[in-house]
Amino acid sequence: MRVMLGLIENEVLKILRRRRFRLVLVVLAALLCLVVFAQHRQQQNQRRDHPERDWRAQVEKRASDLERQINQRRSIPEQWKRWMKYEAGRLRYYLSKNLNPNELTGPVFTRGFAGVGTVLLIPLLIAVFGADLVSSEFAEGTITLLLTRPVARWKVLLSKVVAMMLFTTLTLLAAFFLAWGISGVAFGWSGWGAPMLMGFRLGPGAAGGFDLTGVRMVPLWQDTFAAWGLAWFSALAVGSITLLLSVVFRSAAAAMGTMMATLVGGTILSRVASDWDGAKWFFVTNLPLPDFYAGLPTPFEGMTLAFSVWVLLAWAAASLAAAFLLFTRRDVTA
Amino acid sequence: MVVSAADVVLSAEGLAKRYGDREVVSDVSFALRRGEVFGFLGPNGAGKTTTIRMLVGLVKPSRGRIVIDGHDLGREFEAAMRRVGCIVETPDLYKFLTGRENLEHFARMLGDGAAGRIDSLAALVHMDGRLDGVVRTYSLGMRQRVGIAQALLSDPAVLILDEPTNGLDPAGIREMRELVRRLAGEQGLAVFVSSHLLSEVEKMVDRIAIVHRGRTLATGTLVELTDGGRRGLEDLFLELTGGETV
Repeated sequence: MRVMLGLIENEVLKILRRRRFRLVLVVLAALLCLVVFAQHRQQQNQRRDHPERDWRAQVEKRASDLERQINQRRSIPEQWKRWMKYEAGRLRYYLSKNLNPNELTGPVFTRGFAGVGTVLLIPLLIAVFGADLVSSEFAEGTITLLLTRPVARWKVLLSKVVAMMLFTTLTLLAAFFLAWGISGVAFGWSGWGAPMLMGFRLGPGAAGGFDLTGVRMVPLWQDTFAAWGLAWFSALAVGSITLLLSVVFRSAAAAMGTMMATLVGGTILSRVASDWDGAKWFFVTNLPLPDFYAGLPTPFEGMTLAFSVWVLLAWAAASLAAAFLLFTRRDVTA
Repeated sequence: MVVSAADVVLSAEGLAKRYGDREVVSDVSFALRRGEVFGFLGPNGAGKTTTIRMLVGLVKPSRGRIVIDGHDLGREFEAAMRRVGCIVETPDLYKFLTGRENLEHFARMLGDGAAGRIDSLAALVHMDGRLDGVVRTYSLGMRQRVGIAQALLSDPAVLILDEPTNGLDPAGIREMRELVRRLAGEQGLAVFVSSHLLSEVEKMVDRIAIVHRGRTLATGTLVELTDGGRRGLEDLFLELTGGETV
């Protein structure tokens, strides 16, 4: 156990001294500043252009725009249509409860960022520091020292898995606090108690209606906690798959490149190939857990939050198992 | 010379390694004794590197057995490796850490009081006072010394050095030779040195094994193998290896 703690300390030291993780934090902060700035400008422009309109009129207009588009335009892909129908129904329900769905506060932004970040940004950042966890030891030749010490190989890899989980968690915590801190400057930091309506659902098929039976009201902090918890779970699955690639490839660039191509390709796939329903077994398709939790339409019918959690769990477990098998059996030749 | 079995600290028996249908090592056997410097000689491509990688657990032998201080390497990896220190090919340390941080890193892998030995080992390899520089700024000779300090952290019975004088300048080579002799003489370590440079090894070793095409062809003291010095080691080497360039 003491050796295990020492091994984990080693891995943490190496990640910190390689400075990749600092890059992750800088990228996160820079992007968040950019997004917050853009949203702030948009908000100001709207107020300037329509000073007379109150929020009810704005939401009303947005909902009826969506409904008109669904009915008029035939060329819209099925998937978008479903999303538009969902959004219109959601807005109408908020109106009926006299709640402003668009009120932007720091906490609302932070909650929203869990959904947006999980799709691509956070996985990419995890690939940045995760891809060289093992491959850099091969690339720099230090693997010959690491594996000729009196420590079984599985322990060496386990310490790297733990370090991966630690830094994935740190990434998520940093993303949360940076999102809240930076958006708070523009939109205010308070508002965690605001009511959120959850559990909207679309019925099956294109003709499916808007289902209100499951709708409930929760305070924003509770919704945010659940969303970021799910984002963390997604991120751990990404970290596990990245670790496997890091064991397979001897160069960090190859591991990172493969992971990034997979993430970007997978995101495109789930948007484009809505007819091929086999894509729902692909891990990238299942990453946006916070969105599924919020009730947003899934890219494929029949997908549920539980389904996606299980698919991600299976991918993570299989990746870790393969990584251990490969790492403990491989001959280290050069 | 009478040798008791208790003196043997590392034995390799019938080692072989096959990759696909290519057999890189066919039959390598030898025994290392306490307090001796053992030269492992052979032309490039003879199977030296693969043999060393098998000795330190990086490559799994297809056949044969390695026993280190009574522990079978294949079955008791951790116990066997605790008795071994090694530098395989170049002394690759973490270049972005300091020498001291590197030693602390590997001391933590040992878990016992290894960290307490860092300063005395630094003095032994003449690196005292220079451990706090980042390895990236070290010369090859300095890396080699930190590498040896690292190898000695676990207080091993066997030290395995792969081409230890490669890339060193003449002063560095002499210093390495003296260090190796001292470790064997004063601390009773068995030191295994691989090389393709006969002249280097001749001045350093007590016994040698000559390996060629994956087989150990001859094993013995220099005096035995050269008929009491009447034949040059070089002649013997060329004769055994069929005159292949070294």
